[in-house]
Amino acid sequence: MASHEETKSVHHHTSLQKKIKLKQERRQHNVSFVMMILLTIVAFAAIASDAVSNQVAILFILVLAAVQVFFQLYVWMHLGHKGHEFPMWGIASGLLIAVITVGTLMGLIW
Amino acid sequence: MDVGQRLTDQNFPESPEKATLEGKNKFLGFWLFLGGETVLFATLFGTYLGLRNSFGKGPEASEIFQLPIVFIATMILLTSSLTSVYAVLALKENRVKAMRGWFFVTLLLGVAFLGLEIYEFVHYVHEGHTFTSGAFGSAFYTLVGFHGGHVLFGVLWIAALLVRNSGRGLTLYNSPKYYLFALYWHFVDVVWVFIFTVVYLMGKVG
Repeated sequence: MASHEETKSVHHHTSLQKKIKLKQERRQHNVSFVMMILLTIVAFAAIASDAVSNQVAILFILVLAAVQVFFQLYVWMHLGHKGHEFPMWGIASGLLIAVITVGTLMGLIW
Repeated sequence: MDVGQRLTDQNFPESPEKATLEGKNKFLGFWLFLGGETVLFATLFGTYLGLRNSFGKGPEASEIFQLPIVFIATMILLTSSLTSVYAVLALKENRVKAMRGWFFVTLLLGVAFLGLEIYEFVHYVHEGHTFTSGAFGSAFYTLVGFHGGHVLFGVLWIAALLVRNSGRGLTLYNSPKYYLFALYWHFVDVVWVFIFTVVYLMGKVG
């Protein structure tokens, strides 16, 4: 009887932990959504305003894009969670080849 | 346990999308596929960046691009990414109605995005910016059109999933399917982040 009570309370405990974890996750998702909206607005504003020179603005919005991709991959696609080692290798090698490809094509076409 | 059996709150695993070998394989395979998709889009981005100033007979990028409509499209896609995240959270809590609701909102936002894109393309064609007006036009429509094609595919995918599983609860068989769609949808949003940055914003300043 006592052990039954114990397993029941353990079960209750783990489901409570799961609930707290999911609540934290929801908050993370909301924060990253607000961040991405802000980054997008800043990127559009940087281009629309004449205050920054075009070269600086281009560099700036490329950095903003990289930050947004980080939020998408890490928070929304859960790449930071455990059990994502192989997915990490898959997407990282994809990104590496992607950067080389873009660089090469830009260099080849003139 | 039978994979087609409806999951209850009692036997619900922590990650239903990875609770079976088939689910694990799909999860890994899909991430590798996304790595390949990244390279595919990189070839299109590289081509576009090389040809983006070869306007030919068509108008220049800074003349035709309309930032307000691109901004609205960006917000729509970003919001749809959030709704698919909410759907995945509901999936992990075995709240199937909430999950299907959020996926349905995602579907509607995807359709709205496609509508805006079609409107935009029609407008450009009237302005003389077509697939054959110059190298810029060819590269632009190939890149942005390919992304739009991915959105269309995603809309059809989630519509098929929702129809096929209507009236069904979450099982170990259909959980990976829902989860992978959400991954795909986020990836489509990631590509769009680069399209609005590299194509539209950079096109506006030359």
